[in-house]
Amino acid sequence: MVSEDRSSPVVCVNLWYDVGSRHEPAGQTGFAHLFEHLMFEGSVHVTKTEHMRLVQGNGGSLNATTNPDRTNYFETMPSEHLELALWLEADRMGGLVPALTQETLDNQREVVKNERRQRYENVPYGDAWLRLLELLYPPGHPYHHATIGSMEDLNAASLDTFKAFHQQYYAPNNCVLTVAGDAGKDEVFALAAKYFGALAPVAGIPPAPSSHLAGPAKTPARETVTAAVPAPRIYLSHRTHPFGTAGYDAITVLATILGNGRGSRLYQRLADGKRIAQPDYIGSYGVDLAHAPAPLIITATAKDGVDVAELEEGLAEVVASLVTEPVTEEELSRAKALLTTAWWRSLSTVGGRADTLGRYATQFGDPATVAYRLPQWLAVTADDVTTAAAYALKPESRVTLTYLPEGEE
Amino acid sequence: MTLVATRPGTGEARPYTFPELRRVTVGGGTVIAAHLPGQRLASAILMLDAGAAHEADGREGTATVLAKSLEEGTKARDSAAYALALEGLGAELSPSVDWDSFRVGLSAPVPLLLDAVRLAAEAIRTPRLDAADVLRVRDDEVTALRMDWAQPGPRADATLRSDLFGSGRYGRPLHGDPTSVAAVTVDDVLAFHQAWLLRPGVLLVAGDLDSIDLAALGEAAFGGTTGEAHPADGPLLWSVRDHRRVILVDRPGSVQSTLRLGHRSPERATPDYVPITLAATVLGGAFTSRLNHLIREVKGYTYGIRGSYAMSRRFGRFEVAAGVQTAVTVPAIVDTLGEIDRTQLDGVTEDELAVARSWRAGQLSVEMQTPGAIVGALSTLVLHGLPDDYYPSLRKQYLEATVEQVSAAAAAHLHPKGLTLVVEGDAAVIRDELVAANIGDVLDAKI
Repeated sequence: MVSEDRSSPVVCVNLWYDVGSRHEPAGQTGFAHLFEHLMFEGSVHVTKTEHMRLVQGNGGSLNATTNPDRTNYFETMPSEHLELALWLEADRMGGLVPALTQETLDNQREVVKNERRQRYENVPYGDAWLRLLELLYPPGHPYHHATIGSMEDLNAASLDTFKAFHQQYYAPNNCVLTVAGDAGKDEVFALAAKYFGALAPVAGIPPAPSSHLAGPAKTPARETVTAAVPAPRIYLSHRTHPFGTAGYDAITVLATILGNGRGSRLYQRLADGKRIAQPDYIGSYGVDLAHAPAPLIITATAKDGVDVAELEEGLAEVVASLVTEPVTEEELSRAKALLTTAWWRSLSTVGGRADTLGRYATQFGDPATVAYRLPQWLAVTADDVTTAAAYALKPESRVTLTYLPEGEE
Repeated sequence: MTLVATRPGTGEARPYTFPELRRVTVGGGTVIAAHLPGQRLASAILMLDAGAAHEADGREGTATVLAKSLEEGTKARDSAAYALALEGLGAELSPSVDWDSFRVGLSAPVPLLLDAVRLAAEAIRTPRLDAADVLRVRDDEVTALRMDWAQPGPRADATLRSDLFGSGRYGRPLHGDPTSVAAVTVDDVLAFHQAWLLRPGVLLVAGDLDSIDLAALGEAAFGGTTGEAHPADGPLLWSVRDHRRVILVDRPGSVQSTLRLGHRSPERATPDYVPITLAATVLGGAFTSRLNHLIREVKGYTYGIRGSYAMSRRFGRFEVAAGVQTAVTVPAIVDTLGEIDRTQLDGVTEDELAVARSWRAGQLSVEMQTPGAIVGALSTLVLHGLPDDYYPSLRKQYLEATVEQVSAAAAAHLHPKGLTLVVEGDAAVIRDELVAANIGDVLDAKI
């Protein structure tokens, strides 16, 4: 896909591979993400460390991310280096395996273990997402385990597994290539044909394990963690609808009304109002997962001296109010205005635009569907929000994760 | 083979340009605007000379408490009505405090920018600042700082700052600490507002100026203001220490050690800005930097390690920052010192500098696509008195810097023997090894 925009002399090359941690079998958690690291360590015509050096050494910014759904790779370059970026991406799509070594795997395994320590283990509340996934999705479900994986599985990762992983999933027929910015479509299509055109598709790529779930949970789940945290904190979470559905559009608007900004219900009623929650740490947001009902996460941290039970009761009341007190026109228009700004901000860089197009092409089969998202948010009614709340936010489908400071249990 | 073996060459580069700037003087203040045709969103920053440096001793954090109090209601409406009015435009304020300035940023769809700036000015110029609200915001800020200080990093940062800058405002954390914020009074906040937030300041705008009335924005931002800009103070005096010291910040049970290695360095106006930036890029700025290569890509001790110079109007400091696995704390420090030593003694190579030059130059395009990024670039011009053609000229200076210049800057501005090494980690596990490593005297942080 090409999205031409000549306003800055920069171009983004973005690849969405339709493989994420949802594809990982038991015993191989964290492999999709560790593999993402290996993609920066050289390929047939690119020596170890050369990938980074060629991108940054030509003025570019680059990164990659892995989530439950997919893995994306992207670099934004001064536009005279478009061809270089495409060559680098083709070389690691078609020629990674011969360059993979045990030494590289061992090194990146340690890097990823340090990433796990830095992001999840060494920070207060850092493991909340890991715990929420296990409570939200049943054992064996592709979203049950977190993308970062377990230390045990990472330690057991073998080189052959990664070679097979690449051969299975890193194929042109499992990838969407998007170029946005200072380049025309004829030029990009010709270059794409030159560098990717001869790469062989892989037949019979296995689908991810079944992720069907019939909506919200039927029974509540609860976990209380006593840890080195500075204040009690609660996460409430519900499975809602998959990203990309009308139901999830209503949840997106709902999350903004409920917990985005100082004008949101949570802020107005618990940070202001009752003053039982810390104003800097209250909010709600959806996690945009597309292959099963996606989570809505609602969180608040107790102010000094506030009992955690009082905070939970306050949260439950505000969540229940979405059904019992209809959303006002003012709340609805506030949420839509914030979503509109956020939408345009997300598309204001060539990187943001390329990634969004890649997402819609990968997940919905047609990049043009990107044009529907904002209008669909803007079409959500107060009734839609109430209906979404009544369907997804019932107490009996709720996950409640509570952190208590050590010595206060 | 189905892959193309030959690495492609470079296409034709478009000439580098920075957006056209326009200036309007109105109501005692100046609007400086960058024209970005076709952008749907516009960004603005009202920049005031009201930085943390103006705070009184023992009341560090006053400006931050004020910044967080601005939206607790204005003379015209209460906090709930204010939030609905502003967020109803799709805008949110981002007030921030740094050493040299106090900024309130916002972005909004172009047709709503004027209304959003009017509301921002209402909060900045005429906040209600009821005593009870200010005290509540202050107490919340104390709690928020405690939350923040429970993370690895802030205590190490405060320890390094105190050691490098000593007593006085610059030796204390930018946003204060839980004790100093708890000491802030309502009168401190009101006085800070009266002294510093009623002067006109500068309004920076980036967006499609064909649809934006700059004079109207200026009238909204500067209406009712009085006073002059405060004359800039000169750089702080400083010298390099002649010995190393290690300061241990205990974080029991920590699975990583947080490293903050630093020393003083020149302020932003230094004529060596370009070569020392490039030297730091080679040492610890780029992914392929010496530090990241050795400590992450060869040794696997960390998820990432960075080295950089931070430069404000009155001071500068060199710092290396990383989180390393607890068990390899000392080897990681020893390797890090080795790379700093080597860079100071032997300088950089042409291959390394080529990457640093092109990266820094390219980033001036790649990281400046949005109204938010451009308005941030304008703030740098204003804060440091730089000319309108600064960015094109900076790009040229990066591209023309020589190995000799950058190596000379590394030799002059890296001081491995005068470093303070702050290590925040599980003292029970790492102390003995740190002492035995004989890097410098090991002290315990008073924090």
